[in-house]
Amino acid sequence: MGARRVLLIAVLAAAVLIGFVAVQNLASSAVYYLTPTEARERNIAAGTAVRLGGQVETGSLRYDPQTRDLRFVLTDGTTRVAVIGTGAPPALLREGAGAVVEGTFAADGTFRATQVIAKHDEQYAPPSPGATPSHQTP
Amino acid sequence: MIETTAAPFPTIRVRPWLGRLAVAASLIATFMALVWAPTDAVQGDVYRIIYVHVPLAWLAYLAFFVVFLASLGWLLTRRPWFDALAVASAEVGVLFTGMFIVAGSIWAKPTWGVWWTWDPRLVTTAVMFMMYVGYLLLRSLSTDFSRRATRAAVIGVIAVIDIPIVHLSVLWMNSLHQLPTVLRAGGSPSLDAAMGTTLGISVIAFTLVYFAFLAERISIELDRQRRTLEARA
Repeated sequence: MGARRVLLIAVLAAAVLIGFVAVQNLASSAVYYLTPTEARERNIAAGTAVRLGGQVETGSLRYDPQTRDLRFVLTDGTTRVAVIGTGAPPALLREGAGAVVEGTFAADGTFRATQVIAKHDEQYAPPSPGATPSHQTP
Repeated sequence: MIETTAAPFPTIRVRPWLGRLAVAASLIATFMALVWAPTDAVQGDVYRIIYVHVPLAWLAYLAFFVVFLASLGWLLTRRPWFDALAVASAEVGVLFTGMFIVAGSIWAKPTWGVWWTWDPRLVTTAVMFMMYVGYLLLRSLSTDFSRRATRAAVIGVIAVIDIPIVHLSVLWMNSLHQLPTVLRAGGSPSLDAAMGTTLGISVIAFTLVYFAFLAERISIELDRQRRTLEARA
């Protein structure tokens, strides 16, 4: 009975710890990401880790599989940020669709992304006849 | 299904048909989700996990709301049946929450590109999960029936506030998780009619599963209550 009690307290402590981490992140996720305009207004310094959210500007998405160089422009309609990342983007990263990037600004004003996350909206609909779902088109 | 007899505790007869209905509905929902419902224009077939992820989430909300009502019931009436209902619903709620978090993670990797991120919806969901895990663990630490029930009931009444917070988090804050598709103000659900029908059937199936599990668990708890009472006598 004593060992069981210790185990229960340990699991309870772990749950409280995880809950605590979650609540801490809630405080910082009150600003989960900044829009490019907000980042500019707050004068985010080069080298400071930050998360930006916006849309992938149409015509700006480029990925070279040889060099694994990923480039696109993240925009909120007002401010544009040139994002440079490495590695294949998520399949749902599309021009005109949402994206969230984590990383830092470089001295030249471009954003060096360590993580690129695709964001999708809340609409669900079948493709028009003959069309292929977006994530399967290259 | 629920009968009040002259015995000191109301007895619940677990009807086999509740379980059978749940299985039948789940089979129908599975067919509709995997075969009948159309593919999504943006996500392809991976979106079909919505027919598991969303119903489980809604049923978890319902389960924790039932915990809230049952906790109030205990605090106001001190009838042990309410405590049995509270622990049963909390357990099913925790199970469903764990399941929809995993389903969401499986959905997130091929769509968002990450297994997890600390966006407001995921954070508040993790907090909700932890609170009700804490609720169950709190119960395990106490042996005195009345004290345990009262402590748990206090948590059960307070923790329910996280449910609207979880749902509204995507509306209040910048988040990665998209806005609600169905439970939203103004405008009809933003999904295709066939998808909506499939989602509705899935919700019915999971609701039957919830009630089947709940009935079983309440029955077990009432047995325990009876044995504890007899042991004391």
